[in-house]
Amino acid sequence: MREKDATVTVIIDNQSYRVPRGYTILQAAERFDIYIPTLCSHKDLSPFGGCRLCIVEVEGMRNFPTACTTPVEEGMIIRTHTAQVQSVRKEILQLFLSEHTSSCLICDEREECKRYLGTIRKAGVTTGCRYCPKDGQCELQEVVEKLGIQEIEYPIYYRNLRVEKEDPFYDRDYNLCILCGRCVRMCQEVRLANVLAFKQRGRNTIVGPAYARTHLESGCEFCGACVSVCPTGTLYEKARKWEGVAQLEQVTTCSFCGVGCQISLQIKADRVIGGLPAEDPLVNNGQLCVKGRFCIPELVNGPWRLRHPFKKFNGLEVDISWEDAITLAAEQLSRCAPDEFGLLISSNCTTEDLYIAQKFARVAMGSNQVDSPARLFYGPALNAYLALLEKSVPLAEVREAPAILCVGLDTRYGRSVVGVELRRAMHRGARVITIHPREHNLALTAHAWIQPPPGGEGEILQFFARFTAGEESASPPETNLSSETLRQLARELKQASGVVILVGSEVLHYSASPQILAVLHRLAENLGAGVLPLPAQNNFVGSLLMGTYPELLPGGFSSANEKRLKELEKVWQTEFRPLTNGWNSGNLSAGKPLKVLYLIGEALPSGEPPAEFLIFQNIYPPDSPIRPDLTLPAAAFTEADGTFVNGEGRVQRVHRAVNPPGEALPDWEILCRIARKMGVRGFDFSDVREIHREIAALVDGFQDFDQPPRQARSLTIEGKFQIAASGSFEAKPDGKKYPYLLNAAPLEHVYRGFPLSSRVEGARVIFADEVLHMNPRDARRARLQEGDPVEVTSQYFRKVWPVKFSPELNRGIVQVTVLQNELIGLNPIPVIIRKSHV
Amino acid sequence: MVSSPSEKTKIVVGMASCGIAAGAGDVYNALKEKIEKENLPIVLEKTGCIGACYREPLVEVQTPGLPTVIYGDVSVKRLEMILEKHVKNGEVLANWVVKGEGIHTSEDALFEKQVRIVLRNAGEIDPERIEDYLSRQGYQAIRKVLLNMKPEDVINEIRNSGLRGRGGAGFPTGLKWQFARQSPGKEKYIICNGDEGDPGAFMDRSVMEGDPRSVLEGMLIAGYAIGAQEGFIYVRAEYPLAVKRLQIAIEQARERGFLGKRILGTNFSFDISLKLGAGAFVCGEETALIASIEGKRGMPRLRPPFPAVKGLWGKPTNINNVETFANVPWIILNGAKKFAALGTEKSKGTKVFALAGKIKRGGMVEVPMGISLREVIFDIGGGIANDREFKAVQLGGPSGGCVPANLLDTPVDYESLNQTGAIMGSGGMVVMDDRTCMVDVARFFLNFTQEESCGKCTFCRLGTKRMLEILERITRGEGKPEDLDKLEKLAYNIKKGSLCGLGQTAPNPVLTTLKYFRDEYEAHIFEKRCPAKSCRDLIGYRVIPENCTGCTLCARVCPVNAISGERKQVHYINPEICTRCGACYEVCNFDAIEVFSPVELAETVDE
Repeated sequence: MREKDATVTVIIDNQSYRVPRGYTILQAAERFDIYIPTLCSHKDLSPFGGCRLCIVEVEGMRNFPTACTTPVEEGMIIRTHTAQVQSVRKEILQLFLSEHTSSCLICDEREECKRYLGTIRKAGVTTGCRYCPKDGQCELQEVVEKLGIQEIEYPIYYRNLRVEKEDPFYDRDYNLCILCGRCVRMCQEVRLANVLAFKQRGRNTIVGPAYARTHLESGCEFCGACVSVCPTGTLYEKARKWEGVAQLEQVTTCSFCGVGCQISLQIKADRVIGGLPAEDPLVNNGQLCVKGRFCIPELVNGPWRLRHPFKKFNGLEVDISWEDAITLAAEQLSRCAPDEFGLLISSNCTTEDLYIAQKFARVAMGSNQVDSPARLFYGPALNAYLALLEKSVPLAEVREAPAILCVGLDTRYGRSVVGVELRRAMHRGARVITIHPREHNLALTAHAWIQPPPGGEGEILQFFARFTAGEESASPPETNLSSETLRQLARELKQASGVVILVGSEVLHYSASPQILAVLHRLAENLGAGVLPLPAQNNFVGSLLMGTYPELLPGGFSSANEKRLKELEKVWQTEFRPLTNGWNSGNLSAGKPLKVLYLIGEALPSGEPPAEFLIFQNIYPPDSPIRPDLTLPAAAFTEADGTFVNGEGRVQRVHRAVNPPGEALPDWEILCRIARKMGVRGFDFSDVREIHREIAALVDGFQDFDQPPRQARSLTIEGKFQIAASGSFEAKPDGKKYPYLLNAAPLEHVYRGFPLSSRVEGARVIFADEVLHMNPRDARRARLQEGDPVEVTSQYFRKVWPVKFSPELNRGIVQVTVLQNELIGLNPIPVIIRKSHV
Repeated sequence: MVSSPSEKTKIVVGMASCGIAAGAGDVYNALKEKIEKENLPIVLEKTGCIGACYREPLVEVQTPGLPTVIYGDVSVKRLEMILEKHVKNGEVLANWVVKGEGIHTSEDALFEKQVRIVLRNAGEIDPERIEDYLSRQGYQAIRKVLLNMKPEDVINEIRNSGLRGRGGAGFPTGLKWQFARQSPGKEKYIICNGDEGDPGAFMDRSVMEGDPRSVLEGMLIAGYAIGAQEGFIYVRAEYPLAVKRLQIAIEQARERGFLGKRILGTNFSFDISLKLGAGAFVCGEETALIASIEGKRGMPRLRPPFPAVKGLWGKPTNINNVETFANVPWIILNGAKKFAALGTEKSKGTKVFALAGKIKRGGMVEVPMGISLREVIFDIGGGIANDREFKAVQLGGPSGGCVPANLLDTPVDYESLNQTGAIMGSGGMVVMDDRTCMVDVARFFLNFTQEESCGKCTFCRLGTKRMLEILERITRGEGKPEDLDKLEKLAYNIKKGSLCGLGQTAPNPVLTTLKYFRDEYEAHIFEKRCPAKSCRDLIGYRVIPENCTGCTLCARVCPVNAISGERKQVHYINPEICTRCGACYEVCNFDAIEVFSPVELAETVDE
């Protein structure tokens, strides 16, 4: 009986089927492989009924209902392919084609054309059949072929619209648009971003942001979800335009931040040509941000990728064989005392690379001088940040939280997947409060945006912490919101149970950040709230667990932990006593002068070479003018196997999708070969699986390499990190002498030491790094034009950056993102600004 | 309309949009000034549209001892005469009277056959004063409903009355209310659809301008019946006067406790707000209208679910048209039986029509259902302007169709009109004479719908555009023999395959004209001739030498100097230069200009 209730019997084309109740006719037909053409329906989107192609005949129903919108009913008699229905469908296609370039569809010579003229080079000289990038993947083309349209009865009126190319990452040619509305629904229903809408009426209807603004201006996150669902060539990735159809797909974990999205790499001819969100419910749930969606091919396929090892020889760079390179490295390393060696490894590397790197330092070099410069990103706030990581809750808690507090979080470009979760939370009624000094994308949608001056976040959190601890008379700091509103917000937070606090990157770089994070910690305890810090580095947690820091051993143990050292000696079957001193990546000259500095996936420090011999292992040659003594080509994350551990503590697989270019090798393999050359035991790994097995024996949470459990786990760290005293900077808010407040943040969107903005054209537009952002009114008052070089002077330094107008900044505030090692002590810092005449 | 026994004369100026457009504002202001200046013992008031729009400005004069009369075509100059002769000397100016007690005028037929339910107050009360409404049983219906009737009783009463949706589709109103009532949910909404968009239709505007409170009261009753707490009136921003008067009516109702919390001391709370539409035709479609109120783009969505189940903000919603709501208080007060006694078996009550086009008495009329089109057009409307020949009447706006002369005896009810291929529609009636080209009419309406399509579904967006292109081709004389088949096929597909009512009915004007006036299409295509001599590309203008007096008037108005000729000599129109604008034809006082078909002329010459 129950079975019967859950299904209905329908007759489709004279055959009876049992279909789950609630299915649409289209879903029912798809389930039984009955073809009904459609262009506007999409499995992830609500039924639209716009294209009308899926019309069917249903006995007893007026007109032809659309299969995509009509639910099945008991006893329904459906005919999907009657002559009348087919004729109406053909009419629809003809109407589409009456304004859609269609030589690729109905040209007499298209077969020949496909066979003989299939190169881009011929495009201009043939009849133009090759000018649609979607050729061969176009759904309109497919339906036309299936229904067999040979001619168009109507005169052709092209819309003659200008192709829109002004935005980064993808172009829009609305001449090819059939107004199926998938992009609009994607943007509105799934992403909840509401950037795209239908504009105009009648035949002039067109898709785009309101008021003829560009996508950049209208708050588009460039998530590319619209591009993915476009059935025609209307929306197309710039970087992938002529790549054609992918041959293979490989799901892997994205390497651009600690969210750890599952991404489906699109592969053609052993090249990654694109990245699409993988259907994975655990982390990103079918969504991606601009970095994962658009930045990968340009980054990993860049023409300057390192392909061969080479060394510096008489001032020249000379290609050498791997054998020679390994020998040279082994020679140089062998002559180092433990404290004359340093190894810096990026936390973008896989867990296995990180493990091997620290094992190399500790076992092969007997040294504790291994570090991951991610510590510089967190600066003095590192210990406070780790304390938050130890309390971290899974992102999924956002889906149930009644109230969410975001601090220093902007989800427009990076972490837009989290932004989607936040908007969904708001839709189901959760209160979202954001604390951020600058107008950011959450400012528009959150219930409350509290805007402190840069560094003033602490005072607000302090107020919340005091209020929620019962001190209701605490007086709130002055912000854009009234005291009463702030009190109300504090009350709301106090009353809600299951609050989640999200911590972004833009609250970590202040001089006061340690205190701010400590207050945040206290507030979370008062509220019983879960905290989710969202690390900027994809494998920051992995680097902590693997112990690529002088202070840490694998498993999060302190390097002073004798018991742990004994255990390691047993597993590693060696005796070692790594030296410990104040050395770290922020302080390379703390100990003895280095003989060898080994950089894996890290940028060169600026200034004088920090060691006698520099080994630089990366995917690109260094941007710095310093030439390394030995350069080793490494594999990018698309070219290596391994695991990443995301901010929630999930161990996730990284899959080799393509081969590394030239002779490039994965980092662990290079390290192991050098170690073997040095005659060190314990580096005889033939593949990553074996390394992972060794890690699993040492560190909790690591198990099966092929099927990692992907459990969210909060971190446990023993002891504290050594943090250099930040000098005796004193804020001198002399409003007259230094009228502007400079907020200098470290570069966040970086892969293996290279800013994405330096390698990906679109990223250059959205991540304006190393330029001075300034309110346009301030800038005009200072007689500055966009792009002018500006001299920024504080008590401690003088710097020159080009200026960029950013209306989202308040007046009196200027902001810049700089390389980590260029940060300037006090932050934010009062400065003078004037046009540079250099 | 018995004169009040007060000693003062009362003058009421018709101040609906039609009156104001004709100059009623000037008349009103002049009169006001004069009264103040000369301290005349006259009470000055204003009212809505009485229906005789073709005679606006209309001024009603109630002088004690004299019959109340309504004067038409009142200018400031005539006003002086009226004040002088009628008010001062007690002398009725019979020639100018449109309507008056005991006075027979040529206009009598206009009023005799009308039954005014919806328009019962329009033109009788000052729409900006609640007292006037109250004095005519205003808000008595809601009182009766709240104090003596259960919601079910109200729905039954409306069902028994046989009232059907006056927006055009004719869905039984009571049934609609019942669905909304049965829908589960605490929050429910009432929406009044005042997005009147058909070219040539202005019934809803007149009701909202002339008697806004009947609409409010109808909505209140509906709100009580279905269990709603809030109502919206969706009215076009292009109706500023209607918006203003609705606003006044809402505010006054709130002040008097007819809107707001615990109305008349009962547990029933209800409030109404206005939502101004930006003038998109498609927003008259109920799902698009709901989207528009929600702040979204006015775009229809699939039904089911119907608004009664899932409407505004996903809550059960009842949408009725302005005229439907205006009927409701009358039905409650006078009983379903009395309403059902009017009309035909399936179409009860009355229907308001806006008479427009080539008709003598253009304006607003309310007639009982079942009356024939002929009676409406010829008896009430006075026939065709300039006594030309009747050709067709267009009903139902862009979704409707053209009914030809031989079907003039079709009774006005939903089913009979549907059979002709036209529809009842919201009540626009555009009358056409023999000089109207039916291909051009179809082109006009299609041009309207294709521009107003929301663009969502393929047929409506592209299909109507392609049809329009074919029609344009035909009116230019470039039609091809296969065009008619193509039009019919495309029209059929658009009707069958479109998403909402706009698309599904958009081909109607083409289909009905093809059905009844196929010969005109064929003349355009095969003979390159426009029988109505209206399509510019297929006609020419020439001088009839026998009639031409050489007055030079035509030559002076010709914008392109195509006319030559000496004074007192027969003039000549150079066809090479002539743009066929018709200016000469319009000004000629001697019928000396004629329109001809160049093709016909060529044939005669050949013979």
